[in-house]
Amino acid sequence: MTVVALGLALLSQLFLVCGQLLLKRGVGFTPIRIRIVAGGIALLSVWFFLWLGLLADWDLSRLFPFEGLNPVLVLLGARFFLKERVPLLGWIGIGLISVGVSLVSST
Amino acid sequence: MKRWFFNPYVQLGFDAVLVTTAELLLKKGALGGFKLPKNIAWMGVGALASGWTWIGILAYLLSFACWLYVLRHIPVSIAFGLINIAQVLVPLGAWMFLGERIFPMRWVGIASVLIGTVLVARTIMKREVA
Repeated sequence: MTVVALGLALLSQLFLVCGQLLLKRGVGFTPIRIRIVAGGIALLSVWFFLWLGLLADWDLSRLFPFEGLNPVLVLLGARFFLKERVPLLGWIGIGLISVGVSLVSST
Repeated sequence: MKRWFFNPYVQLGFDAVLVTTAELLLKKGALGGFKLPKNIAWMGVGALASGWTWIGILAYLLSFACWLYVLRHIPVSIAFGLINIAQVLVPLGAWMFLGERIFPMRWVGIASVLIGTVLVARTIMKREVA
């Protein structure tokens, strides 16, 4: 992959992660806070079109693994911003998912 | 509607299948869409010219409804860990339906993702028992 494609793939994932954290924040309230959910959807929309463009140029099985960075990023974000607690086994599991994903994308 | 249908973990399963279907359809659409000049191709809107892309978007919208339901009931770090089963389903689907190759190293990666997903699932089972 080219450096630009790599950068775009990483950037798109950042949009996805922040969008997910906003979504969870929004639906976590009762009643649901529509504005926060809408903010999450806006970020996810940016991710979506970046993603479509990347799909046009690269094999799906090579691109999709970039999403594997997300579990760790979401885990960290949820820990620090949403104060979610995950047991050690969960951290190990999510670490394995990311390692697996980097193996998949390195080929 | 049956009660199992509203179980957030069942919805998470629906979500995984829908996301996988959507990804494969989007790739099909991106391949068959309108080819933009190279310098603006990254915007990807050329894919909207393909019908597959729109079915893919529909599958994404459905998966999104499932996902909001899941998020309301499960911590996002756990839910996001589990939805990564799609990391396994997508390459397998690309292999079966789009003819993309999976090299040995990728199989190792897929196995690692699977083990990780099982570990995350176990933390939930412990929580439910406790």
